[in-house]
Amino acid sequence: MGSSRLEYTLGNHGSENFRGDDIMESATKSFQKGEIPGIIAIDEATCKGCDSCKRHCPTGAITGMFGAVHRIDADRCINCGQCLVSCPFGAPFETVDAVETVLTRLNNKDVAVVGIIAPAVRVAIGEEFGLPAGTLATARMYGAMEKAGFKILDNNLAADLTIMEEGTELLHRIQGELSGGEAPEEGHGPLPQFTSCCPAWVRYVELNHPALIPHLSSAKSPQQMAGALAKTYGAQKIWGVEPGKVFTVGIMPCTAKKFEASRPEFISAYHHLAAGGGTYSGEAFPDVDAVLTTRDLARLLKKMGIDLAKEPGSAGDSVMAEYSGAGTIFGNTGGVMEAALRTVHAVITGTEMEPLEYRDVRGLKGVKSASVNLIDAKTGKALQVNVAVVHGLKENIGAIVDEVLSGRSPYHFIEVMNCPGGCINGGGQPVHPEGSGWMSAIAPLFAWR
Amino acid sequence: MDDHALILKHPLRVRMFHYILVISFLPLALTGLALFFKAFDEPAMNLVMRIHVVAGVVLTLGSLGFFVIAYDRVVLFIRRSFAVTVNDVKWFAVLGGYPQKFLLRKKVAVPPMGKYNSGQKLFGACMLTGGALLIATGWGLWGFPHLLPHGMAHAFGEIHLILGLFLTLFLCVHVFLGIYMFHDFKAMFLHGRIPYAEAREAAPLWVENELVALRKE
Amino acid sequence: MGKKDYQYMENPFQVTRREFLSITGAIAAFTALPAVWVRSRVTKRNNYLRARAAGLYLDDRNAKIRVSHGNPVVTKIYDEFAHAPLSEISEALFHTRYINRSKGIA
Repeated sequence: MGSSRLEYTLGNHGSENFRGDDIMESATKSFQKGEIPGIIAIDEATCKGCDSCKRHCPTGAITGMFGAVHRIDADRCINCGQCLVSCPFGAPFETVDAVETVLTRLNNKDVAVVGIIAPAVRVAIGEEFGLPAGTLATARMYGAMEKAGFKILDNNLAADLTIMEEGTELLHRIQGELSGGEAPEEGHGPLPQFTSCCPAWVRYVELNHPALIPHLSSAKSPQQMAGALAKTYGAQKIWGVEPGKVFTVGIMPCTAKKFEASRPEFISAYHHLAAGGGTYSGEAFPDVDAVLTTRDLARLLKKMGIDLAKEPGSAGDSVMAEYSGAGTIFGNTGGVMEAALRTVHAVITGTEMEPLEYRDVRGLKGVKSASVNLIDAKTGKALQVNVAVVHGLKENIGAIVDEVLSGRSPYHFIEVMNCPGGCINGGGQPVHPEGSGWMSAIAPLFAWR
Repeated sequence: MDDHALILKHPLRVRMFHYILVISFLPLALTGLALFFKAFDEPAMNLVMRIHVVAGVVLTLGSLGFFVIAYDRVVLFIRRSFAVTVNDVKWFAVLGGYPQKFLLRKKVAVPPMGKYNSGQKLFGACMLTGGALLIATGWGLWGFPHLLPHGMAHAFGEIHLILGLFLTLFLCVHVFLGIYMFHDFKAMFLHGRIPYAEAREAAPLWVENELVALRKE
Repeated sequence: MGKKDYQYMENPFQVTRREFLSITGAIAAFTALPAVWVRSRVTKRNNYLRARAAGLYLDDRNAKIRVSHGNPVVTKIYDEFAHAPLSEISEALFHTRYINRSKGIA
């Protein structure tokens, strides 16, 4: 129970330096200079050509005939890792492994290593240490990470920030449309608004449907907000460390977060510090320095001899570990939407949503939709907000995208998570031996080509 | 007793099924090895895999067909293959006398055997259970690798590989001895009959206990 | 049917009724039981996800604050640093733009 297939992502693959050998030296095809290409690759010795991965891949990035060794086309790949967690033989592996890099920093007393922990990690990390699936191991996880030398910045706090930023943006867009449907002002995009916290979804849009880009929320993902926050507010106000000495590590259920952190535009903290009166004059540094998946973190802890299951719990070492229940449900499909609705409801009606649980957006159905009826406290007018929640990009995004592109979408706000079930089933999560993420029809594959 | 009398050892239904096994299992074994060693380039590996799948379908349908049409023979086969006695232990202790026959040209006494000697019983039991597992895991891997629980899919793969390699090796022994025992080769591949004298020497318990003489017309 | 050209054959009645039934029972058990087990495991394949999701909803139920706008640290961050959502600092640090990569797969 809970045994992982870590052996499939270990090995000699992957550079020691997170941003070392594998970055794009110059912009080419579908990568910007500085981004990491080919985060997921397929081991030729292990692949049997069974075509299972192709059935999961949302972008058709996997080539290779049935029975022959398969390959991933890095230009089409969105780094979601569903092939990796689905392969019966463990052939796909991650080419980026930051464990040694992070270990070096943890052992360096001059560096403040900040762990940005995603919600989905706390209900899965226990599986790597023999605990049952879904065990909520937050306290033990904090304790283990603090013992390893991390400072804790809970990504759920950044998720709360995301709700404030993205929720406000949504309200502006809705107001913009309500007031006569004029052309969107500067900064107010068109409806429907898509969530943008899923880096696989974002790259999917950039590659396949760039016309949808204005619909993407301008808000960063919680990971990237957290990185920027850590090196500005966190460094100065909470930990009292020089920004250049803060090493941020995303602890994520997601392989695409390794790509997201490498996006060259994500050096906002540096820009903020360098621009504002020139308080910082060193070299540019990224907002998020490295990313460890849940599996990577387990491997790191085991290398340090830390058994998470036996750790006494910790409540977190600073206010940067304090989050709301709305933030923590981000890991589930429908969680971002429910969190957003709790705040949108309060802002518009002036009262808290009662009950706080919004069950219409919960559950494993591929596309969930709901209409939320609110009475605007300021004007007394009724406002109907139509929302949709999509997960399992491969099977479920087609109709939604078609609707939006043709202007027929009835929705104001759409949450999109690439992975079936949401981030809890991300490409970086422990592979549960009794589980499978397949939620669609039980139909045979019968590969031939 | 007329030593030149003939016994119907393999009725027509049995010989037909054996043909189906030959045309399906041999390609399965050869393509299986090619897949395991990744022996060819991409288009060739695709063809190899397609042959493997088609042969697997033939094996499945043939087995199901035989089960339906000749259930009585299936029961007989299981009864014979899985009946283990102390004679089987003694037979294996001298390896059936084969190494001595081939390598030392010496004839060694073996305990009295039924229709299938101990080695053939082992082969039959392995082929029946191994073959059934290969068929079941094969369909699982071809039909549902994308949705089976991960541990189960991985186990199907391991079982399919290990049993495939094992049965391929055992098959080599069967093919060699099956051709060497030329009377039995002709019986299985041509007319189904073996001479009484051969049977009395190789399978005395079968001759004593399980045969009936046909009434003279 | 014509003259048979063999003189001996296997006794067609050599299997007893008991043997026949027990072998049939064994075949039925060895096929049906694994099939039922596989089917039950396949039906339960998403349960680990339901468990992980339930863990997060439990975290939500146990939380002291359950709405993002009620998180005092969020308020603190805006009061002491970013001022308000979509402020100049918020735009610089918490918002981004996207790029058209479609030519990369044209």
